[in-house]
Amino acid sequence: MSGAAYAGAAARPAAPGRRAGGAGRIAARLRAGIATLLLPLLVPAALLLLWSVASDRGWLPAQILPAPGLVRDTLLDLWRSSDLTRDAGISLGRVAQGFALGGALGLLLGAAMGLSRTAEDYLKPLLTALAQVPTIGWVPLLMLPLGIGETLKVAIIAKAALVPVVLNTLAGIRAVPPALFEVAAVFRYTRAQLLGRVLLPAAVPPLFAGLRLGLTNAWKALVAVELLASSEGLGYQLVWGRQMMQMDVVIAAMVVIAAFGLLLDAGLGRVERRLQRWRVAA
Amino acid sequence: MSAPGDVAARGRVELRGVGKRFRVDGRELTVLDGIDLVIEPGEFVTILGASGCGKSTLLRLLAGLEHPDAGEVRHDGRAIAGTGLERGLVFQEPRLFPWLTVAENVAAALLNAPLDADAKRRAVAGHIAMVGLGGFERAYPHQLSGGMAQRVAIARGLVNRPGLLLLDEPFGALDAFTREQLQDELRALQAREGFTTVLVTHDVEEALYLGDRVVVMSPRPGRIRAVIAVPLGQPRDRADELLGRLHHAARAALRDTLPLAA
Repeated sequence: MSGAAYAGAAARPAAPGRRAGGAGRIAARLRAGIATLLLPLLVPAALLLLWSVASDRGWLPAQILPAPGLVRDTLLDLWRSSDLTRDAGISLGRVAQGFALGGALGLLLGAAMGLSRTAEDYLKPLLTALAQVPTIGWVPLLMLPLGIGETLKVAIIAKAALVPVVLNTLAGIRAVPPALFEVAAVFRYTRAQLLGRVLLPAAVPPLFAGLRLGLTNAWKALVAVELLASSEGLGYQLVWGRQMMQMDVVIAAMVVIAAFGLLLDAGLGRVERRLQRWRVAA
Repeated sequence: MSAPGDVAARGRVELRGVGKRFRVDGRELTVLDGIDLVIEPGEFVTILGASGCGKSTLLRLLAGLEHPDAGEVRHDGRAIAGTGLERGLVFQEPRLFPWLTVAENVAAALLNAPLDADAKRRAVAGHIAMVGLGGFERAYPHQLSGGMAQRVAIARGLVNRPGLLLLDEPFGALDAFTREQLQDELRALQAREGFTTVLVTHDVEEALYLGDRVVVMSPRPGRIRAVIAVPLGQPRDRADELLGRLHHAARAALRDTLPLAA
């Protein structure tokens, strides 16, 4: 065949900018990089400024709105006294357990419903109904059989993670183009081969959307459940700070919670991109 | 699997009284009716018809993706009961797995082939080179042009060394230049390797330029209207006078097939 010459003109995998780039191009990339790093910080910086002006001018009493500097000092104190790391460790452990449980169960249920209409007919209405009850609404009921210990917290977090994982896994499997099933049929794929080599890889993007949503939900549920029933963890720091009227502790704990949530989501995002190197670069 | 070179001995196709009906909105629709056709080993047959004439259904019956309601479809004497690695299929769209590289996509066709890993590797490399994509083994489908992706699909369709290659309007979505180039390449490949080929198209020129015989079909219900032999060797000249005359005959046959309402 004589196709090689004409084929060679088409796109090669590498990004052209890195290879062909002169100094100007590198500078442009640098500028673009700085812009993507700095732009998301613009609004928080403005809020921080407003905050410090507000506490400087005494627009709100210091007990209600502590100065940014005080919160920073409190954060450092908590960090040094290792209170913070201990609480964060406990909270992360709970999320890890709950998310592992809820995520795994969600993937299983979602896959079962995606693969079998019968399973979907049996389970989908129930799951949709359950999803309508906010996670916190489950606490009073589950308190009775599970107590207020770790089991309750893990169960609540698992439930929070479960729902988006189930629904996105189901939608993801349903959205796999039937055309690809025919390709698999032509090559005589078995059911297991169809599942492992066509369905799962094709469903990775929505599946990960579900997992990320599930993780965010798990983290939010953690804070809620620690607020209600706990004597340790980041959520407990919030409660304790409020009871002591130490808003600097409350805000410090909130900062840490937000930071960890952001980190967890970014971490899963990295895994997602790694699994989807085949997708068109955004 | 068989060694290269012996494929020409296989690939005989027989259709006897084949009929196919579909239920559409509760109504029975006869898509194919009384199809009789014998395709000899190594022959290149094109199936020409307007959309809705059942030509794609006919190809899907040959692939084993559909089953006839009447009559029988045989490949090398055996009734076709389902898909099989002894028949290769190329769709109108490349239908590559987007998460696999070119080499992995071709190898995906060999998943259930009775070959050891080494033989599979060699078959994949050989067929990628055969369609002129050497050097693109590790590219992903989204990095390929439409023509390149369809070459990968052809390599994938041939990697099991099927006696029969089925193509469903494989060049319909390509630009004119790429289409002509791929037509030439497919015909050269077929002449060299000797696999029986059935190609479905609605393009009169393509049907005549590629086919040893052109089967013209009429729609609703899908029937064979005419079979036009093209007594020209390969390679062909697109401006050949005989092709021009046959073009008129084929167009006339096609025109007759169109219902008055159309």
